[in-house]
Amino acid sequence: MVYPGAVAQPWTERRDRELVWGLVPALIMLASLTAGPIAYLWLTSLTPLNLAQPATQWNFDQPLANYASMFGDPRFANSVVVQVKLSIASVVLQLLCGLGVALLLHPNTKIRTVARSGMLVPMVLPPIVVGITWLALFTVDISPIHRLFAWIGLPFGPLLTNPSTALWAVVFAGTWQHFPFAMLMSLAALQMVPEGPIEAARIDGASRFQVFWHVRLPFIAPTLVVAGLFILIDSVKAFPLLYIMTDGGPGEVTEVTNYYVYRQVFTFSLWGYGSAIAVLMMIAVFLLSYLIDRITRRNDGAWA
Amino acid sequence: MKKPSITNGVNRGRRRLVAAGSVAVASAALGLRAPAVIGQTKRFSGVTLNVSCWSAKYPRLLEAYVGEFGELTGAKVNYDTPGLQVYNQRADLELSTKGAGYDVLNITFIFSNRWIGNGWFTPLDPYLNDRNKTQADFDFADFLPGAVSPMKDRKGVVYGVPWVTDSGMSVATRYDILQASGLGMPDTFEELEKTLAVIHKKDGVAGFLTDNHWGFWYPPFLQGYGGDVFRGAPDDLMPTLDTPEAIHSADLLARIVRNYSLPGAGGMSYGQTQELLRAGKANYAFVTHVGGMSHAEPEAKVAKTLHFSLYPRGPKGRFPGIASHGWGIPAGSKNKDAAWEFIKWATSKTLITRMVREKHLGSVTRRSIYDAPEYRKLINVNGQDTGQIVLDTIKLGEQGHMKYRTPPVYPQVNVQLNQAIGRIISGQMSAKESMTQAQTSLIADFRRAGMKI
Repeated sequence: MVYPGAVAQPWTERRDRELVWGLVPALIMLASLTAGPIAYLWLTSLTPLNLAQPATQWNFDQPLANYASMFGDPRFANSVVVQVKLSIASVVLQLLCGLGVALLLHPNTKIRTVARSGMLVPMVLPPIVVGITWLALFTVDISPIHRLFAWIGLPFGPLLTNPSTALWAVVFAGTWQHFPFAMLMSLAALQMVPEGPIEAARIDGASRFQVFWHVRLPFIAPTLVVAGLFILIDSVKAFPLLYIMTDGGPGEVTEVTNYYVYRQVFTFSLWGYGSAIAVLMMIAVFLLSYLIDRITRRNDGAWA
Repeated sequence: MKKPSITNGVNRGRRRLVAAGSVAVASAALGLRAPAVIGQTKRFSGVTLNVSCWSAKYPRLLEAYVGEFGELTGAKVNYDTPGLQVYNQRADLELSTKGAGYDVLNITFIFSNRWIGNGWFTPLDPYLNDRNKTQADFDFADFLPGAVSPMKDRKGVVYGVPWVTDSGMSVATRYDILQASGLGMPDTFEELEKTLAVIHKKDGVAGFLTDNHWGFWYPPFLQGYGGDVFRGAPDDLMPTLDTPEAIHSADLLARIVRNYSLPGAGGMSYGQTQELLRAGKANYAFVTHVGGMSHAEPEAKVAKTLHFSLYPRGPKGRFPGIASHGWGIPAGSKNKDAAWEFIKWATSKTLITRMVREKHLGSVTRRSIYDAPEYRKLINVNGQDTGQIVLDTIKLGEQGHMKYRTPPVYPQVNVQLNQAIGRIISGQMSAKESMTQAQTSLIADFRRAGMKI
């Protein structure tokens, strides 16, 4: 019913206005919980804030000094190189393990459900527990793994204190914890593959590998790409395993950028410098997120 | 103005009645003691003290007694003991912002200069010198001078009351192996290397094992060969990690770890090495007195074969690591009088003596307790008076060699030393390359921290 004198508004306009008003509380929360801290981080990165020198707070005399210092800091450069190695290895290993296990669990077998649940256990363990577990497993004198290999005549030395293997040992532990994510994504994608092309390939005499390579993999590839990008972002946040297992060592072999920020901020109290590195990391992660968004949208279009 | 209503009056009357009833019931419940309690107000009733210290033996044991402080004073105490690193970070943040979140905090040794020098703790002299606040039986002069000195600023003002002076020393968990080889505890670094060459892998036991806190274990080597961390701490903080003495001593320490330790020992944390030493997997170790005494506990496999000695010396002398920790009152605390009462209680002769007797507290800072036969008996290990080794070590502290450890930038030095020695042990770099890199990186770190060197 339209009251006399009232200006009739199209229903969609009113709906949109109500939707905007409905979103306002959420937007305020988002701004205060996300944008606010990010703005503070960015402002801090423009100061030489050092907790030991209170006068350095809100000192914007040389706003780009931290950023300039970063590019002349060989340890920062080293941390980026370590980060790249850790990220690439994590993505490749987790995708391979996740896909491999998903292929094993994909066929309908009685134990599939139980096995699938069991495989999720590492993912739900607190990272500190995972770190302590693998620290013990990599300690030569108490590790059953080392004893087993020594028993079969293939002894090997400590992995975490060997500069050639320390990073890969951490990557291995991280893969053990996080591969279920790739497994779940792969499993879901495998279940979406239509049976028709697979049947056709089999009738044409394709082997199991050929069916996987030419039929299944092209179908699940977009999902694997998205999973890989999520793993990549997650690897940038690597911290607990490194904290427990290597403390960034031996030397700086496992000191990733995240860990370097932690050192600068919490050990040296250089909040300004640490914030500047964190801002750069945030931009890198934002670009990766943007990439995921683009790929996801393209996939949505392709599947529509 | 709001007129009092009949209903309000009835409610008020009812509340009074209920309150009076409650008091009567409570009094009845307290029985004969009730009349003594009523009317007696404890000095700090209603005060809540937030107290924190890193997780060491004394603060952990103290937790069992904290309730007694509440009963004595009426104050409620929120007490926590996080791990050392977590504690340091939390306290550093809290102190730097002059927050009122904590009333009593531990003054961590390596942060003492930074926390005290920046005015983040409350001077305790006004409390110590006021007989209304500190009775004579507290006897501050009873604390070992070597333990108190890190708690003072340059002018000699006291900011903390020490609860431990942890002294670096040596221990052989399988002294029987040394004796069987006709050897005693090595007195010099050269003797140490020769001894380890003899005892390594004897009876399936590695010769040496020490945790990877090289920032604490390496400086005695460095100073023993005539070098130092800084050119002249605390005034001249130019690092001197690339000197021939620094390179030689770093090479020696790394060689010892590489040749005579368990596999992977170069990166083992305190907890890992303690477990392996207790299990008798390795023999000779650098330990603090507190850490070493834990191997004397009955459940340790090596309790019967344990033997202590002073930290070895170099050609230029003996410079063992010493670290004092003490209770202080943050500048931002709103309950300073209650906080001082807590500190006095927590470090009193009475309580410490009880902790020694009831909980076997092994490391103390009061001379009178060191002199007590009961305490000496407690820290006597296999017929050896370890208390004397502690006292001798603290006495060595009077040389002033620990000044390198308290400048505000020491956390940077600590990390650089840990990494530099780690690089040499793991074979990534030679001692010369690694120490030169540490020197360069440290200067860059100092400049980034705003230091002019």
